Amino acid sequence: MEQNTNTLRDDLVVEAPKDGKLLEVKDLRVSFFTPAGEVKAVGGISYDLNYGEVMGIVGESGSGKSVEAYSIIGLLQSPGKVIGGSISFEGQDVLAKSKEEMTDFRGREVAMIFQNPMTCLNPVYTVGNQLVEALRAHDKSISAEDAKKRAMEMMELVGINNVARRMRQYPHEFSGGMRQRVMIAMGLICHPKLLIADEPTTALDVTIQAQILELMKELQKKTHMGIVFITHNLGVVAEICDKVSVMYAGKIVEQGPVNDIFYTPGHPYTVGLLRSMPRVDADSYERLIPIEGTPVDMLNPPEGCPFAPRCEHAMKVCLQKMPPYVELGDGHRSACWLRVQEQVNAKKEAGTND
Amino acid sequence: MVKYTIKRVLMAVLTVFIVACITFFLMNAAPGNPWLAEKTPPQSVIDALNEKYGLDKPLPEQFAKYMNNLIHGDFGVSIKTQKNRPVMDIIVEKFPLSAQLGIMAVAWAVVVGVPLGCLAAYKRGKLIDSILRVVCTLGVSLPGFVVASVLLVVFCGGIESLNFFPGTFSPANGIRGYILPCFCLGLYPMCYIARLTRSSMLDAINQEYVKTARAKGLKTGKIIFKHALRNALIPVITYLGPLTAFTLCGGFVVEKVFGIPGLGKFFVQSVQALDYPLIMGTVIFLATFIVFMNLMVDLLYKVVDPRINLAKGGN
Amino acid sequence: MADKKVKHSPIGSLQPKIDDILEWNNLDFTPATKEEKEDFIQQRKSVSYWRDAWRRLRKNTVAMVAMCVLIVIVLFGFLGPVLVPYGYEEFNKGAENLHPWHYTLEDQARVNAVIEERTGSAALDPEEAVAQAIAEAEAKGETLSAVQQAKIRANAKAAAEKAATEGSEGLSTKEEDVRAELGVKAKLGGYSNNELQRIANGEKVFPHLFGTDKFGRDIMVRVMIGTRVSMIVGVCAALLVLVIGALYGSISGYAGGMVDTVMQRIVEVIYSIPEVLVILLLAAMLSPVIQEYSSSGGLLSGLTTVLGANLISMFIAFGILYWVGMSRIIRGQVLQIKQQEYVTAARALGASSGRIIRRHLLPNCIGQIVVTTCLQIPSAIFLESFLSFLGVGVNAPMTSLGSMASEALQGLYSYPYRLLFPAIILSVMILSFNLFGDGLRDALDPRLKK
Repeated sequence: MEQNTNTLRDDLVVEAPKDGKLLEVKDLRVSFFTPAGEVKAVGGISYDLNYGEVMGIVGESGSGKSVEAYSIIGLLQSPGKVIGGSISFEGQDVLAKSKEEMTDFRGREVAMIFQNPMTCLNPVYTVGNQLVEALRAHDKSISAEDAKKRAMEMMELVGINNVARRMRQYPHEFSGGMRQRVMIAMGLICHPKLLIADEPTTALDVTIQAQILELMKELQKKTHMGIVFITHNLGVVAEICDKVSVMYAGKIVEQGPVNDIFYTPGHPYTVGLLRSMPRVDADSYERLIPIEGTPVDMLNPPEGCPFAPRCEHAMKVCLQKMPPYVELGDGHRSACWLRVQEQVNAKKEAGTND
Repeated sequence: MVKYTIKRVLMAVLTVFIVACITFFLMNAAPGNPWLAEKTPPQSVIDALNEKYGLDKPLPEQFAKYMNNLIHGDFGVSIKTQKNRPVMDIIVEKFPLSAQLGIMAVAWAVVVGVPLGCLAAYKRGKLIDSILRVVCTLGVSLPGFVVASVLLVVFCGGIESLNFFPGTFSPANGIRGYILPCFCLGLYPMCYIARLTRSSMLDAINQEYVKTARAKGLKTGKIIFKHALRNALIPVITYLGPLTAFTLCGGFVVEKVFGIPGLGKFFVQSVQALDYPLIMGTVIFLATFIVFMNLMVDLLYKVVDPRINLAKGGN
Repeated sequence: MADKKVKHSPIGSLQPKIDDILEWNNLDFTPATKEEKEDFIQQRKSVSYWRDAWRRLRKNTVAMVAMCVLIVIVLFGFLGPVLVPYGYEEFNKGAENLHPWHYTLEDQARVNAVIEERTGSAALDPEEAVAQAIAEAEAKGETLSAVQQAKIRANAKAAAEKAATEGSEGLSTKEEDVRAELGVKAKLGGYSNNELQRIANGEKVFPHLFGTDKFGRDIMVRVMIGTRVSMIVGVCAALLVLVIGALYGSISGYAGGMVDTVMQRIVEVIYSIPEVLVILLLAAMLSPVIQEYSSSGGLLSGLTTVLGANLISMFIAFGILYWVGMSRIIRGQVLQIKQQEYVTAARALGASSGRIIRRHLLPNCIGQIVVTTCLQIPSAIFLESFLSFLGVGVNAPMTSLGSMASEALQGLYSYPYRLLFPAIILSVMILSFNLFGDGLRDALDPRLKK
């Protein structure tokens, strides 16, 4: 494995992706200990990601998407704390790593790009400086010249022209889209196996969004890295992801391959999200239907399903217990009492038939 | 850059001019005259003196004459405190000592204050941060004369085993004579800089680019010293201008307590004696110095922060 | 509940088997009513801005301690002079240069007896000698002039010193040594012998807790008055700065355009004026003018007499120069808030300028204003003491902590506490204001909390 990673780093383009699990998150719980009380930002989520797979995490603001991503890469800051569950990356327990190991882990194995490219680059250093720095942080032996060459190659790879001049410029001389390209180049410069993209297109113009998405898709194809793509935009998910996890109030309410999520959604929240998104294939009269209400207060999370108060199908049981996951197909599961009810009914029917 | 500099220099000249105006009319508005002493001289003597130093002319004329002389480098002569000695002479004699003290004080304030601030920011919420916080707040709360007098009592007072330092300043004492005054003069700026560094450091640490740097896998030291510190130092540099003014004026007190024959002590004397040319000369000299330092800091600030576009006039 | 059952499940912890679920018998699949849904969420109590800030402030121990200290200092400065039966400019005769401690008359007698024994002659206390001489003179029907009294005093002093240095048998005759030998301890509170005598006669005499100065003025009362002066100066200067700064800043920020540009140029110039220099000049130059005015009996002369000339010139200096920082902060806030969408929205809805200022700008600036004002107080006190120390601050009959410290410089080595008491109060006061202001800033603007 170790030799393998070394060869990975030498070429820009990686051959075939390996099989198996790259990232496995199990029952992850993250809480913020604020003066007002414990905020359970992430309340027990599980998923896994194979090599070369792109997973979207969808949810509204405050649903715990970013927090979850930060805990993978170890960027969670006080008062946030992982209080349970496990994260394993290529079989290693990420949460058990020491501070130094985590430092080495970040950037080399997992890279992350952020929402706002305007503030993510240090304004007082040139872009080239910051790119080279990312490389040399993990490859101490590389000479300054080689590092510079690599950085320039990377910039070309993400579609920046006039590289030599651009390297010497400061971030404020770049446009938003260009800066996000630089961020991507910076993330990929050490050939990580996993890229976490935290709403990378949200702060950009729509046209630029499309370009960046296109670029990421292209780079993913070239490098076969795994991507965790965090967004609140289902359209973006459809564009790039293989599978999707829908998060609501710190829990994954539905999870599955992208087609299943779009064509046979199993959770009213997913349905709500889809209905609130404009579609090309919709009837001309179809209206966008917003989801009524506001998310629950994470400080006092309710016993039952957090979505229940906003759910048009809410039942008495929804208010009492968190629903269990129900398998709806291959890798497609959803946590909703409606689905449980269906299964219970089917079982009963089967029982009576027997 | 050039345009901006020129603009700033013009502003600086204007500021000095305004200070000169204020000083001139204020001191002339003050009742009494320089010749008042224990024994008031007869009116004829006063008239003669007034005529000799041109004080009998109307104020605007006096002012115009003074400014004209000033442009030609003539600061006039002292009319009371050190009779008939050129003002420039006095300043040249007295200022170097004040400047020496000031430079040493600023130096130790910056050299100690910045690392302390970084330490506090890095250890935020820990015990050492709380201790530094209280100590530094105490430091900015203690008036200079309190520190100076207390030090004087402790180190030059009754307890002989503590008498490391001479109580009154004289050049013969060498470096030991500088230590206490410098400490007093630098204590407030040191604590202020530490507080400033801490808060701007925390500001910088919470910036997204620091998150990026962490995500890149940089070591903590590199994140702090390369990414956070350079941004955090920008406000500290901005403070260097007011700091110069502070040390020069704070020097008045320290010079009084330790009996240092510097410009500050002299200035207070000249104000109380209404020695017109000497007041004007000293004020203009100090104001020019302070304004010049502000200007330098401003230009330096633009160098440190590449975002500021000098061609557009710095806005 | 669900968690326990799922350990064997391959995927998530929330993955029970349908069979298990079937065993639960209280599953109620009937639709929930609207009321039930509404009851479901326990809404957090919405807390007002000020209440929330107060809650945060209360949790900040340092700030709360600082606040208590400030209250104590205020009581000390404002209530203290009423309770202490000495005036701040009252010369207590016979109680000059008292230390903040005393020895009982009996102890003094013991000590004197020992010294007497060792020197072989009675070393009269200078004051006693004078008293004796006066008594003798009165017995003869004469009165002693002040010069004669001074002579007697000096003689007695010389005799005592002589006696002190010429101790017999190698035993020390210095008072301190004898006291230590006899185990005589100082008692708290300064009393003159005269006052001790009065106490012995059953009178109640208030002690000079901080001692007295060379005129016999009670230092504690003077410190109290000084505290009061410093406090008033600080608060008034801060309010003055607040009013001018807030007006100027908000006009400049709100008006924008040409007005703003011109106003900011003025600010820039004032900003780069070395303020302490000018204030020093102002304080020194203006006070005689005001003195003249107050004696001329004009309209406001009563006021100027009460405040004292130097204080007023200091206020003027503050009014002219110190509002700049405040105005910059307010202008920045106004500019920032002005660009917020909700203000644009209010404007789009046709709200008048007055309404926008009242409803949107002011409430959003108020936190900053309170904090800046609060932090302005200690810097005003600081400056006042600085000027008073240099001798251009508070005028002579009045006193302030700074001028007391300046006076104390003369006898610094023999009476260090004369400096210490005002210095401690001053430092504690400024420190408490600073700490409280910091706490207030953290409480009012949680985003700024570091």
